[in-house]
This record gives sequence, C-alpha cells and structure tokens, in this order.
Amino acid sequence: MKKQLGFYVDAKRCIGCFACAMACKNQYHQASGVVWRQVYPLKEEVYPHHERAFYSLSCNHCEHPACMEVCPAAAYTKREQDGVVVHHQEKCIGCANCVRSCPYGAPRFNPGTERAEKCNLCWQRLDAGLDPACVKSCPTNALRLINLATFNEPNAVQFPPGFPHMSRLNPSTRFRQAELPKIIKPEDK
Amino acid sequence: MSKITKQEIERILENPVSRRSFLGGLLATGALVVLPGCRLLRPGTVDMGQVWEGGYQTFRNACSRNCYDTCSIVSYVKNGVLKFVEGAPESSFTAGGLCVKGNSYVRRVYSPDRIKYPMEQQGRGTGKWKRLSWDEAMDKIARKILEIKARDGSLLGLALSKYSGSFGITHYGVEGMMSSLGYTTRLVGTPCWPAGMDAQNFDMGNMLCNDPEDLPLARYVIVWGANPAWCSVHSMKFLYAAQEAGAKLVVVDPVFTQTAAKADEYVQVRTGEDGALALGMCRHILDRGLYDKEWVAAHSIGFDEFAAYLREHVTIDWAAQKSGVPASHIAAIAEEFAQARPATIWIGYGMQRHVNGGASVRILDALVAMTGNIGKPGGGARYAQMQTWGFNYHAKNQKQPEGSKGWIGASGPKGEFDFSGVKENVKYADRTININKTAQEILDTKDPQVRMLWVACKNILSQDFDRPKMLKAFNKLEMVVVADQFFNQTVEQADIVLPVTTFFEEWNINASYWHYWLSLNEQAVKPLHEAKSDIEIAAALSKRMNELAPGSCTFPTTVDTKDWTAQEFNKKELDLFGISSWEELRKGPVKAKLTSSAPWSDGVFATPSKKYEFHSDLCAKNGHDALVMYKEGRPAYDKLRLLTPHSKFAINSQFQNLDWMADFNSEPYVYIHPRTAALRGIGHGDAVRVFNKVGEVRLAAQLTADVPPDTLLMYEGWYKGLAFNCQNLVDDVSSDMGSFKTGAPGVAIHDQFADVVRA
Amino acid sequence: MIPSMELPLVFFTLLSQLAIGLTLLYALRTAGPSVQPEASAKTQWFVSAGILAFSLIVSLTHLGHPLLAPRAVLNLSTAWLSWEILIFILLFALMAATAYLGVTRRFVWLTAATGFIALFVQGMVYSPSSFPAIHNVLPFAFFLVTAVILGASTSAWFAPQDTQPLLRWILVGALSAGLLLFLVAPCVWLSGGTVMRLTGLAYLASPLYWAHIVLGLAVPMAVVVVSRRIPSWLPILLLAGALCGRVVFYLDTIHTGVNIGGLQ
Repeated sequence: MKKQLGFYVDAKRCIGCFACAMACKNQYHQASGVVWRQVYPLKEEVYPHHERAFYSLSCNHCEHPACMEVCPAAAYTKREQDGVVVHHQEKCIGCANCVRSCPYGAPRFNPGTERAEKCNLCWQRLDAGLDPACVKSCPTNALRLINLATFNEPNAVQFPPGFPHMSRLNPSTRFRQAELPKIIKPEDK
Repeated sequence: MSKITKQEIERILENPVSRRSFLGGLLATGALVVLPGCRLLRPGTVDMGQVWEGGYQTFRNACSRNCYDTCSIVSYVKNGVLKFVEGAPESSFTAGGLCVKGNSYVRRVYSPDRIKYPMEQQGRGTGKWKRLSWDEAMDKIARKILEIKARDGSLLGLALSKYSGSFGITHYGVEGMMSSLGYTTRLVGTPCWPAGMDAQNFDMGNMLCNDPEDLPLARYVIVWGANPAWCSVHSMKFLYAAQEAGAKLVVVDPVFTQTAAKADEYVQVRTGEDGALALGMCRHILDRGLYDKEWVAAHSIGFDEFAAYLREHVTIDWAAQKSGVPASHIAAIAEEFAQARPATIWIGYGMQRHVNGGASVRILDALVAMTGNIGKPGGGARYAQMQTWGFNYHAKNQKQPEGSKGWIGASGPKGEFDFSGVKENVKYADRTININKTAQEILDTKDPQVRMLWVACKNILSQDFDRPKMLKAFNKLEMVVVADQFFNQTVEQADIVLPVTTFFEEWNINASYWHYWLSLNEQAVKPLHEAKSDIEIAAALSKRMNELAPGSCTFPTTVDTKDWTAQEFNKKELDLFGISSWEELRKGPVKAKLTSSAPWSDGVFATPSKKYEFHSDLCAKNGHDALVMYKEGRPAYDKLRLLTPHSKFAINSQFQNLDWMADFNSEPYVYIHPRTAALRGIGHGDAVRVFNKVGEVRLAAQLTADVPPDTLLMYEGWYKGLAFNCQNLVDDVSSDMGSFKTGAPGVAIHDQFADVVRA
Repeated sequence: MIPSMELPLVFFTLLSQLAIGLTLLYALRTAGPSVQPEASAKTQWFVSAGILAFSLIVSLTHLGHPLLAPRAVLNLSTAWLSWEILIFILLFALMAATAYLGVTRRFVWLTAATGFIALFVQGMVYSPSSFPAIHNVLPFAFFLVTAVILGASTSAWFAPQDTQPLLRWILVGALSAGLLLFLVAPCVWLSGGTVMRLTGLAYLASPLYWAHIVLGLAVPMAVVVVSRRIPSWLPILLLAGALCGRVVFYLDTIHTGVNIGGLQ
C-alpha cells in the first residue's frame, strides 16, 4: 500500500484537554472563529458521561476526499508521497463548496480572506522532518501520526460510534475507543 | 434513541446568518448586486495567519503560572516577533508539549486587549480611562504614598495584595518594593494549599512529595480530590504508565471528573467527608493487621494512640454512613491499598479546601504512613514540595528606609514563600492581615485603615471571596493601583493601572512545586507597548520617590531583569541541580539530582521527634488536635452544596479572556444533577439563577449525573465581557489549618451552599 | 459549517430555475406538430436569457473572489459544480441564440433538453453526503418542481389564450407534486438517522417552511383551481413562496458536522 499519513485518535488516552486544538492555532494563527482542529465531546448516547470522552478531529486526509472532488477550481491536491490533502489558497475562489460538502466539516471558511482553509497536516513541518504541531503537543500521546501502509494496531477502528460513516471517502483517521471505569456511588435512597 | 431537544435545534439554528452570507444576501437583493467589489465594504481585520517556515531564533522560557506542571518552553522568534511556542523536549515532564493554555501564549502576548500604557480611570468602574506617561503615573503614586506617610507617620495604610499570578522569582520584587518603601500592610496567607501544607508539616516536618515521574513504580494510586486530567495534564502520562505496568488507579472525588473517567475505579465520596472515608480504611487495615508494623515502630510516634482512637471512634459502618461509600467497598480498597507495594495517594488541593481540610490531609498522610508507603519510590503522600525553590529571593529582600515606623510586635510568616522565619523581638514589622478575608480585613482594619492598595499578580475582584463585600471594601480605599496585562474585573475598579510584561518580555527563573525541573526564562522579545516588569516598575517608583523625598525608597532606581535573575542563584540551589552556573540553563531545563525519587527515604523526619508524628504537639500548639483524628465538616446553610473548582481552559482568571480560548469554550455553565433539576423544572440549557446569602449568579444550566444530586458545580474564572463571577456565591470561611506556615488560615472554598431556580 | 441562508445561492437557483422553467414550458406549449412560434416568442426568450444571465451574475456574489470565477470550470473531471458552471453558460448561449436567431423548434427543444440536464446537474451539486436528508434525488426533484411552477405561472404572462388551460393543468399538477414532495419529505426524514431527523424537525419548526407550503403552494393551487385562471399577480406570490422554501433548503438542512460525537 502507498504511504498514507493520517491521525490515530486514541480516545482511551485522550483527556479532552484541547492542547492539540490550540497547538494548531499556535502554529497557524487562524482568524478568530476559524478552527482547524476541534475536540468533539462524545454525546452521552456514545459515552455515558457528560463531556468525558472526545474525538480530536481536523482533516481526515481521505483516500477520496470530498473537498478535492467537489472543488470547481481544482484548489486541492493530494500529495503523491504521503497522501496529505493540501488546499492551495491562491487557487481558491471562495465558493465554499468544500465547506458544505465535507461530512466531517474539515474545511472552514475564513470571512477575512474569503477563502476556505483546513488542516494541511503541517506538510511544511513534515517536509522538515518535524511532527505536526498537534501531535507534538499532545501531553498523553493520545494523538499520533500514523502511516496506514505500516499501521498495525489490532484494536483500532475506522468508524467508531460518533464518527460519520463515509466509506466512499475512506478517511485515513483511525481510533481507539474510550473505556469506562468501575463506578462506586452511594446506594440510592 | 437519541433525544433531540428543542434547545438542540435552537442551538443548531441560533447562528443562521454568517456575516458573509448576510452581507452577501443584502448585496444580492439590493441595488449593489451587480457590483461584487462592494463586498470590500465588509468591516473587520483580515487575519492572514502564518505557516511554519524554518529559520527561527529560539529562546528558553518557563511558564510562570501557578500550575503543577510549570512547563519548560521553547519560543520561536523571527524578526523580533514571537511566532509560536512548543514544550522543551529536554524535560521528561513537559516532554515537548504544552497545554491548551500554554499553546495560546502567542495570542496573549500580542492580544489587542493588552493594556499598553499606564492609565488612570476617571471614576472607578466608569471605564473612562485616561492615558498617563510612566512619569505621571509614578508621580501620582509616589505623592499618594508620601501623603499617607505624612498623615499616619507610617506606611501601614499602604497594603499589598499579591499572590500567584506570576511565579517568576523576580516578581517577589513587588514584596521587595513594599519593604523598600517602609513597613506596610501585607495580605498574607494563600487561598490555595495552606491547610494541607500545615498538616504535612505537623506530620513530617516539611511538605515534600515524591518525584511525580516515579508514579509508574506505584502499584496502587489513589488520586484523592485532585483532577490532573484538567490541572496537571503532563502528569497523566505517568499515571497511564503506572496502569500499564499493572497498577490500579482509583479516583476519589464527589464529582465524576475527567481523571475519574480514566481510572480503573471511581469512588464517589460525600464532599468534605474524605477524612471519614480514610479513617474507615485505616480502621480496617488495623483490624486486619495489614499495616507496616516495623515501619510504624521504627519511624513514628503516636501510633498506639491513633490505633486506640480508631478502635474507639471509627468503624467501617460509621465511615460508610459519613462518606456515602458502601462499607464493603471501603474494606476492599483498604485491603488493596495496604497490600500493594508501593501504594501512593495524590492529595489534591481541592480536597483540603474545607473547614476540616487540614485534619483530612493528616488522615490521608496517616493512611500512607501506617501502610509503610512514606519514603518509597512510587509511594508517598503526594501533595507538593518547595525544595526546588531555594533561591536567594534577592528581589524580595529589600531594606526599609532608615527611620521607618511600622507595626509593633512579632510578625508571622508572610505567605508560604517567606522563608525568613518567624521574627520575635523585632521593633517594627509589616502589619499582616488575612488574604483570604481581604474584604473583611479592609473593612475592619484601623489605626490606620487601609488607604491604598497595590495589586500585582492577583485578580482580587475575580478570584477573592464574597465579591459583594469586596466591592464595599473597595469603597474605603483612597487609591487602588493594579499592575496587570488586561482590563479584568480588578482593573475595572482601579484608579491607576500599570501595564506589565509577559514572561516572554523579561528574564526570570522558575521552579515547580510538583516536579523537580528548573527552567530559565530568557527574554524572547522586547516588551510590548510600554509594559514593564514588576521590578522595573519598582525601580521607576523608587526613582520618583527619591526625587520627591530623598531616601524614601531603597529599591534600586535602575534594574535589569537578566541581572536580577542571575542574582537569585546560590551554590546550594546550583548544587541541587548539578550545574555550576545558571547560564547552563540556557541549553535547556535541568532536573534536580535527587538521591531518591522519594523524600523521607531514610526514615528521618524534620519533626521535633525526628519521626512521623501521628501525635503532634506542634499541631496542638497551633490550636488543633494533637492526634490525627476526624473533624466535622461545615454544616449546610442552604439547600444544595456548591463546588467551584478549576476549568481546564484557564488558570483562575487567566487565558479564558483570549479570543483563541473563546473559540473552544465560550460561556460558563452550572452543572446540575437531572433529578435535582427536574424538581425545580429546570431543563438542559435553561437560564437559571444560583443564589445564596452572599449573592447570586445568572447563567445557563447543563444537566449531568456526574455531579452528586445534592451539588451544584460551576467552574471559576473570568470570561471577557461577562459579568459572571462565582465569587458572588462563595464566602470567606476559613479552613482549619494554614496559619503555621503561611501566616493565615486557608479558606474553605468547597464548603459553600446555594440553591437554584429557573431565571 | 455554520448554517447560512446563502442568499446568493437562493437567488441564483431560483432565478435560473425560473428561466429554465420558461423554456421548458415554451417547449411543452408549442409541442404539437403544427404549432407556430408564439407572437411574443422572441421577447420571451430574451427575457429567459436575461433572467439566466442575471442569476449567473448574482451567483458571483457568492464567491469570496468573484474575479477568479473563471477558475470554476477547472475540475470537470470530478466536480459537478464545474459542470454546472459550464452547462449554465452553454444554456445562456442557447437561450440567447434561440432568441436572436429565431425561435425554431430545434433550438427550443435543444435548449429545453439542456435546461432539464442543467437541473439534474444542479441537483447533483447540492446533494453531497454531508447533508444526509438531501443526499439523494430530492434536490433535483425540488428544483424540477420549482422550475415548472415558476415557469408555468410566469409563462401565463406571455402565452396566448388557447395555451392557458394547458398551463393551468401543468401548474396545478406541479403544485400538487410540490405539496406532496415538500410535505412528505420532512416527515420521511423524521424516521431516518439523527441528522436526517434533525433536518425534518428543523423544517417543520421553520415559519419560512410553512410560508412556502401555504403561500407558495397551497393558496396558489386553491386560487388557480377555484378561479380557473392564472392571475397575473400569482407568479409574484409563487416566487415569494419559493424564496421562503429555498432559504429553508439552505438554512435548515442539517450538516453531519453537527452530530460528530453522536450516534448516526
């Protein structure tokens, strides 16, 4: 299989601290309100506690990205060497079709530049041999960079509950699901 | 099947019109439709952002916040502008990554909200600020100080409120500035950890904790009333490593916290009854003979007395009834804890913010001690340490001017960073009043009253207790000077505000009260706007004071933050870290050279008896029970309990005000158990009013069974532009201990009560 | 994705669908073998072309960088949107040619067919998998019904008297289809997955949705059935109603991003 980079989201280790989300802001200084990485709390139907398990998501660098498919101006490319899906600002006409069409909400519209933008997997850092900003910042090593060609984690899943199931796009993100402790509470009177 | 509530739909639709499409729509429908260029009439700044480019200059910085993790930072600068930050890879604690707050620092440094120059408010609370030059500001302040001196014959009318807003060691120059002016009034004590600090000092003779990096050696870890998943994120990896090595992680907390979700077991304890639970465990361990008889015999005093107390006053059933934890379970974890080699308890500061907090910490200490876990790597009653803070405190130790008059009588410690020792037989001293009762003290203090207040590294009106009383207290003050970075709730009530630097704009040195790393803080960029470091402000004030009245201030009139940082080092501190010069820290943070990761590993304690003291005469001398024993909690004065712990998005009132942080967390909530909410007709998302004898807070409710049914939970902090302040609900009742080491008792922040109704 | 009324797209789609509707209805009206071009044929076709041109210009205001609009045809290999731009430009050319060169049967049917295909392409553009409720044939169906409703009613201004009954039948038929479609779809959505269900609830809770149903479909149908004519003010009411409905389409169709973390 060709090299395909992606994120491993270990919801068991993830404490929802948002360090990754802010590390991205720290690296790129996105405009206020424009967020490339969001840390989504799992709803109680998925993890039975209020905001105690999370999926940190940016872009899934899909095999068949919706953004690249629907962009009329060919402003997206998928890198040959590692499958990173890159948005090219100078080619973008600001139609926001990608923003509407990505089921994961990865591309965001910047009302200042009037263009779409999204996680580019820190390709400038990757090319310099550095980790993506978010991965580097995670204090629990819950967010990792993986290469699907060599990734071998038996407990990993592609579509855990809470993550839109879009097989045709074939997102490159993999997950380990969060676990529950044994809970000792006072007997209800 | 998921419940889709009306609120959910409203929330989804609540922002139907983005600015872009609204204006676009207006244009589409209006006469300007054929002129796309009119979109340029759009207001707002265009943020072009940045990408990684390489070729940065790097600097070493240290996060100066009051936080366990005190991260070592690497700053990336280009053309004199801070571009981004990362954690230092050399520190095995920071391990290359910062938290959500640390990662927002660049926005903090360059925030458009930063106070740029000295300003004077034309009427407190009006928001009408007039710019002053530094000379004008120093002149006004100096004249006021001299006026007070002339009127009262001393500077006891000048008070300092300062705490942990910035822990860079040269910031103790603010205390130094006060000393260099004369004898002043000091708000002493700490809201943070004093009850537990005293307790550990009574039990062991000092407050020392294992190196948190030895947690993977533990076989049983109880995180008790602490929430490291929010408040010490870098510690989590060590807890996980312990679990992976086979340790059992138990979290004891009234609330199902984020840390609880990562534990093997979560035990819900009734708020304030941690002592009862621990005593139940002690009794069971005693009965089963599972305590470390050899260690107790060789290294402690008073155990027999403690055992007798347990047999007479403690049963598992009593502990179960008090704490709410089923008796069978108390027995189970007691046995597991006692039989694990080693076992450890992480004692949280939240756990001791109660009227019985100190007593509870003594009991937890006793549980660890009797099971032979003190002095063992991977073991220990982990609370905090100040061993790595052995600096000169050169900035702090300034001399009063000749002929200064002050308070007559012995002076106790002025907070936990006062290592000068209790001074007896001193002619004059500073007057000390309780920082945890700032409002009441300002109202009550006379002869002279507090006339002028200097606030630095503190946000009184966001963080101090009984806010309504504080506003009354401020009315008594003739002048309020605040040194700060943002127009926060204290600055709102100030007369003069002085802009201060972030740590990126000054030199400093930082240690942690948890881990054992030392981090140098280099100046990465020039001070922004007209900001000055606290010691530069002191120097400027001294210059003006001496111009108006020669000899009225001994603080040097010029300072250099780098030079003053260098002056904080001494041989003992350098030896502790195995370096010969502070300059070595420019290569990266350095870890203390410990003989063991566990303090007290030689079994010799710093108590009068040199042993662990289940029975402490020193404790009795300070007005408490000599024997470690149960102490009753605070009786309820309203229908529900109120807890106001820390948010993961802020350090007290810092960071939440940044727009980057608002992108991820935008409003405060009160968390209510669904049954409790249902009884009051409150639905998820409803606007509610939380109220008690102190005041009230209006905000939205979220329903969750993760809080006990009898408890309201809200996170303290300051949201820019919001009136929200939980201190409108928190009174200033003292915790039992704290005076011994910090000069004033602590405050029972988590012994508060309130009720809630739909707004 | 922040929900938005997307007014430029609302106007672009409505007006282009009106233009297409006019050409479709002209083709249907003049379908018989011996039917001659209508007296006002040239005017009608210039009007259609003009409306289409105007709608394309309005669509430019949707873009962040309208001056880069020519880039929009660069992804014909995978993007329906590139085809939409291309086919609408072609459609305009055909409408203008039909108007300018003479309204011959060949041009009429070529343009009508192209218009029909354009509706299909438009439907594909606005039905990505990120909107579960409309990731199907519904957008095309909505657009087709809208085109016929607007086209039939507006044609009545120009069409000769003898074709008015046909127009009335087509209009009533389309309004019935519309009522069925727009009432049933949200109800069906209520039994779908989470996001589909949220969409159904959002539509049914929206005053604009009901404005479209009542003022844009039901009342016009009653008026035409009872009065047995298409009053000249009816296209205005129909357009206003369609506007309400189209805003609901863009604003209240829920995106999967809203339910990340929840069960699908």
